[in-house]
Amino acid sequence: MKNPKYKFKGKREMQTLRKKLIHSKFCNSQSAICVGAFLALLLVLTGYTAALGAVGCDLNDPDRDVARLFPESTGYKTHYVSIDRKGGEPLLARIETKLGDKFHGIYETIDVPYTIYEIFANKKKIGYIHGVNQKGQFGGIQVFVSLDLEGRIKAFYIQKMTSKYAGKLRDANFGRQFLGLTLKDFDLYDVISGKASGKVEAIKNPAPEAEADFRASLRATKKNLILMDEFVFSTP
Amino acid sequence: MEYWNVGKRTRNKIAFLPIIPFFHCSILPIFLFLILAGMAQAADHLLYLEAQGIAGYSSELKKGIFYSQNPDAEMQKPSLGFDYIKRFSGESGDVATFALQGRLALVVNAEKGDRVKLEPQAYNAYLKVKTPGPYVWIGHNRPAFGLSSYFDSHGLLLRTLAIEGFGYDRDWGVGLYRDFSWGDISASATTGSGMPVYFKDNYMTAGRVSYWVLSKDNMNLGFSLGYGNTLDTMGYKLRDPEPRQMTLAGLDFTFLRNNFEHRFDLLAGKWLGEKTYALFYRFGVNLDQEGRFKIEAQPSYWRLGEERNYQQSFCFSFLATSNLTVRLAYFYDRNEKDNRVVLQLYYYRPVSWLSKLAEKLKKGEGN
Repeated sequence: MKNPKYKFKGKREMQTLRKKLIHSKFCNSQSAICVGAFLALLLVLTGYTAALGAVGCDLNDPDRDVARLFPESTGYKTHYVSIDRKGGEPLLARIETKLGDKFHGIYETIDVPYTIYEIFANKKKIGYIHGVNQKGQFGGIQVFVSLDLEGRIKAFYIQKMTSKYAGKLRDANFGRQFLGLTLKDFDLYDVISGKASGKVEAIKNPAPEAEADFRASLRATKKNLILMDEFVFSTP
Repeated sequence: MEYWNVGKRTRNKIAFLPIIPFFHCSILPIFLFLILAGMAQAADHLLYLEAQGIAGYSSELKKGIFYSQNPDAEMQKPSLGFDYIKRFSGESGDVATFALQGRLALVVNAEKGDRVKLEPQAYNAYLKVKTPGPYVWIGHNRPAFGLSSYFDSHGLLLRTLAIEGFGYDRDWGVGLYRDFSWGDISASATTGSGMPVYFKDNYMTAGRVSYWVLSKDNMNLGFSLGYGNTLDTMGYKLRDPEPRQMTLAGLDFTFLRNNFEHRFDLLAGKWLGEKTYALFYRFGVNLDQEGRFKIEAQPSYWRLGEERNYQQSFCFSFLATSNLTVRLAYFYDRNEKDNRVVLQLYYYRPVSWLSKLAEKLKKGEGN
């Protein structure tokens, strides 16, 4: 729609036009104030962001995935936890120490809400499913583990990974190498150098071309287990 | 009749239910209530704050604009909003989810002398219940048709066909869906009015079946059918009070590989009583390992009755922080002969700092 064009015919029309102009001027200044105020608010909010936050890591199809990862389950409860709310900066420092690396980037901020699925067989709790976001070779990847009540890995699942080698890293044979491992096993894995000893050293990369995604998967698994330890298993 | 004319009747048909004006009047109190609820430290809900600033230039209007598409369309405008999700659980698991997404948008109508108004908007507003079979939802949610049935655009600049006006991104009604190992099936019965609710013998039924699981196979192919009598609305504006026939078939496909994203959407049949076909392709490239930088290109073409149009858009996205995304988009519209550039600052963060503040206050009282 084009802007209306006004024609000048007489005093009355001039008065009408003046009113319109005054209204338009008022609207312009009003809109400028509104937009300015909004942008100022946005800057304030952005400035406040000393502790960054982001979107967490959910199962895309929890019904389907829970049934697959825990075939004996009959239901699940969803809980949201964040480092921010659970223990703040001291907890973050403890997690970073355990990980052997700093949290950085858009996926690792103090107020990311983590989604923990408590798994039930009827009314009995039988385990957990938890996923984390991790920087991969071609964007973010999402690594889930299902754990029994003692924190042992029952299943390993890469939800998001767009690499053309994703099929190999999602393959059941690769996931099987993680079964039964615990945080103690991953304590022996250095996420920076990629060097490991013990059971983690035995995990073989099924796609040597996707070394970056393989190492990202191991880092994500260690991070995942540390978070579960802090959020669930170490909580009295 | 527009949505604020509550209770008025047209030819003995209910023009509007009071539920939406209630939401409109109470969007801020709802947000404040949710913030208070968020202070309760419960682990069964999430509350996010959403804020965005939009500014651009339209060559057709030869002036600055403060919206991405149209002042009447719901997307995108400077706005403040929230996104709330709450889970309800029994002794042996989740039983239902409630989702509410609202915005208070600033509408600066560049086509009407830059008139300013505030417009409350509701996007997600539904209760989803788990049944022994499928999930069932009731409220304002995505109809089961095409790419928009699972691809969320409500914060993006680039437009899907539903946002372009071929269908509805959100609609009021009921729906169901069920996941299978090979894909999923969904269906919906909605009012066929989009953002507002009208009862003028309008309705829309839709169903979609898809093959492959996007999060597992990196691709998803969907086939949709839709039938009904739908209304021509843009945002909350009713453009034609007469419902028109809808008989549509659609095909959509998403394919993700390495750092490339491909999304196709095609529909054909009758929309608003006119012979219609529309085609859309979006190509995206993630430029870094974290997905901070992204470039997207999107040509779309459609025919609605005798009108044909072609649009070309490009968008560059940059995640400045995990909360703040900057998007710069270019749109070309052949029929309007419009070249448009739009800048968006999109801010989205959990409202957890309020609960921390509450805790500190609590501790302070305790001491």
